[in-house]
Amino acid sequence: MNDIIRKEIADGVFFNSVSDSRFKTMRITANIITPLSAQTASENALLCGILSRSCKAYPDFTALSRKLAFLYGADINTSVSKGGDRQILGISASGLDDRYALDGESISEELSQLLCGVIFEPNLSGECFVEEEVEQERRQLLDVIDSEFNEKRIYANGQMIKHMCEGETFGVKRYGTAEKINEATPASLFRAWQRLLKSATFEIMYIGDSSPDKAEEVFRAAFEKISRKPEKIEVSNVRRADSVKRVSEEMELSQSKLVMGFRTDCSEPDPEVNAERVMCAILGGTASSKLFCNVREKQSLCYYCASRYDRQKGIMIVDSGVEGENIEKAEKGIMKEIEDMQNGNITDFELESAKMAIVNSFSSTNDTVGGIEAWYTNQLFDDSFKSVEEVSKMINAVTKDEVVAAAKKLTLDTVYVLKNK
Amino acid sequence: MNIQEIKSDRARDSYYKITHDSGLTIFVYPKQGYKSAYAIFGTKYGSINTCFSLDGGEKITVPDGIAHYLEHKLFESEDGDAFVRYAKTGANANAYTSFEKTCYLFSCTDRFDESFEILLDFVQNPYFTAQTVAKEQGIIGQEIKMYDDSPDWRVMFNMLGGMYHNHPVKIDIAGTVESIAEITAEKLYDIYNVFYNLHNMVLCVSGNVTVEQVLKTADRILKPCEKHTIENFFKDEPCEIAQPYVEQNFQVSMPIFNLGFKESAEPLSTEQLAQTDILLSLLASPTSRLYRSLMDEKLINSSFSYELFDGPGYCAVIFGGESRAPKQAAEMIKSYISKLKSEGIDKEEFEIAQRAVYGDAISSLNNVSSISNAITDHYFGGTELFAYIDAVAQTSIEDVTNRLSQVLDVNNCTLSVVKSSETEV
Repeated sequence: MNDIIRKEIADGVFFNSVSDSRFKTMRITANIITPLSAQTASENALLCGILSRSCKAYPDFTALSRKLAFLYGADINTSVSKGGDRQILGISASGLDDRYALDGESISEELSQLLCGVIFEPNLSGECFVEEEVEQERRQLLDVIDSEFNEKRIYANGQMIKHMCEGETFGVKRYGTAEKINEATPASLFRAWQRLLKSATFEIMYIGDSSPDKAEEVFRAAFEKISRKPEKIEVSNVRRADSVKRVSEEMELSQSKLVMGFRTDCSEPDPEVNAERVMCAILGGTASSKLFCNVREKQSLCYYCASRYDRQKGIMIVDSGVEGENIEKAEKGIMKEIEDMQNGNITDFELESAKMAIVNSFSSTNDTVGGIEAWYTNQLFDDSFKSVEEVSKMINAVTKDEVVAAAKKLTLDTVYVLKNK
Repeated sequence: MNIQEIKSDRARDSYYKITHDSGLTIFVYPKQGYKSAYAIFGTKYGSINTCFSLDGGEKITVPDGIAHYLEHKLFESEDGDAFVRYAKTGANANAYTSFEKTCYLFSCTDRFDESFEILLDFVQNPYFTAQTVAKEQGIIGQEIKMYDDSPDWRVMFNMLGGMYHNHPVKIDIAGTVESIAEITAEKLYDIYNVFYNLHNMVLCVSGNVTVEQVLKTADRILKPCEKHTIENFFKDEPCEIAQPYVEQNFQVSMPIFNLGFKESAEPLSTEQLAQTDILLSLLASPTSRLYRSLMDEKLINSSFSYELFDGPGYCAVIFGGESRAPKQAAEMIKSYISKLKSEGIDKEEFEIAQRAVYGDAISSLNNVSSISNAITDHYFGGTELFAYIDAVAQTSIEDVTNRLSQVLDVNNCTLSVVKSSETEV
């Protein structure tokens, strides 16, 4: 992997670039990082969508879309996510690399300017966003929240986090609530925008073959006009569960969902994080994992039964789709696999294949623009950027004893069931 | 054995087509500087091939969902599961069954040769017993139920049911709990022996690989096959749709719709494919006037999408997404199509769409899995990837105008809606 170059171009504003000639596209993303809070999450998420719709130079959605399509189908898109107790608003521009332009134009330069345009020079009317644009985007976001109900696996996982992390910062959803989204006004959104420009941490990622210098310059110039006062973000994690919370809901469904949330007593920057990753992969991260082989294949209980670990938050989630009458059986089956690991029942094959699967997935990320960006973005809250090779080495160094120790630290916090009526 | 280089000046890439002595067609697309490789081994056999004959023999009819069932069961052999073998090489393996094909694939960054051998080996060596076949009923039963709860899946199949009178494209890929109960080891062997003949299959590898490397394993592992004639039978399908409107009540927060235009099922040429993609982009992408009007009237949201959906004996253009007023959204789409047909295509809108489709096609060559998947799709569809990119660049506004006159008959479409029982649409 080519090295990443990191520069602080303003107080709390970092410009990171990876130069790579293998790809036919380039991508630049501004990650705006701010404390997750019930008060601001909805407004921030809404703002992120509004910014990406238009800007002063292309004042409505159609004008901006046409400009992007003309640049050979370039894209500006957004993402709103949580990184532990932080809210991350990502606005990205991506498009063909300059050498594929049919008319010789510099796509990368135009895209950098467009991205700066949407972030720093939005379409305003005085000290407000344009009402019509706000209303369109408000409707979009409310619809996105509504539609999470439609896909029951997503819905069940969302409900799990909501109940498990009730009262914690992490319990706030990435888009906040419909109620708060409805409260936002063109003027309050303007203030939210000003506040973020001043106080959020900005992590800009540039991946492409064309030189990043122009993009860096455009961002540096934009931030020179802003007096910055970056806010520090406090993170707190619950390490252990004292008792098991049980929540169940009923709905007209063909298949029931069982989701189990565990506290792992281990999160960044604890040194045991890599052992935790391996443990989670052995349990339910691959098609040769314990859950796949035993709960799915041997017991034929479900089509999916998988586990994943959030190393920022220190939680592990196991989710499964099962027949209503088999919920109890599946829960017992899952717990049995965990107890097995706690008792040291892990074969060399399970350990090695889990490590290989993890390392393979790391190495694959290196071959796509989005993968390289995600690799480094996922490390923004670690002490330093590590290459795929460095982290792979740490994964490969994990011993069976460390995996057993990681499994022993698991405590079941919440069991959520979505049951068919 | 014949090796042909296929080159594109526009994409600045090339790949190789190998007609292998075993009967298999192999494509190799090396990517400079990549660490990962992706291989896909597919057969031209999917959920729609439920009635067929071999070498002019008698017609054989098999249960719905058997192609998908076979895909699950092929992973097993006498000495264990292919997933377990892959686990030893670190490859990430998977498989899928669609309407017209079944594909087995893996991606890896290390030990390619070993994983490649596993792929070629397990796909060529079926092992089905009464016991292993019975065990899968539970897993696939749960997969079917998961799809039963998916509104996106239901709204599409309801639309296909409204659009097609007889064609098996309207039947769920995994079949039903009842139809899969009829599947036996013997039936699996029967269809395996017909459709998993190397002449009916394709192998495509992209990324950190060379032709020599691929052939070294292929020469050794591929078992030469005798060529047979497979004939697939589909009942006569009228040009007209079966029903203009289909509705189902469901646990959804907001209605979802699919509006499908039934098109002529003649296979599309490379040029027609390029023209249709440009046409749909100028018609319904976020740059279009239609998209803008639908948004302004609050009839769609960002989930709105469109696609050309085609395969043996079926072809449709589908628009879909969430909508609080699906009937109004469908009316607006139809009236915009009529307007475009009578008023003609705007030159600027055509150019924007052409550049966008071209950019998307070039961008897709970044990714080893999209490359192999695209080559496989083009091969089974009778077209070629680089010729498609050239065709996009060479399409004229007249070509697209002409194409528009042949498709999107507003009197031959089906609207499918999934909504909660409380919602009126």
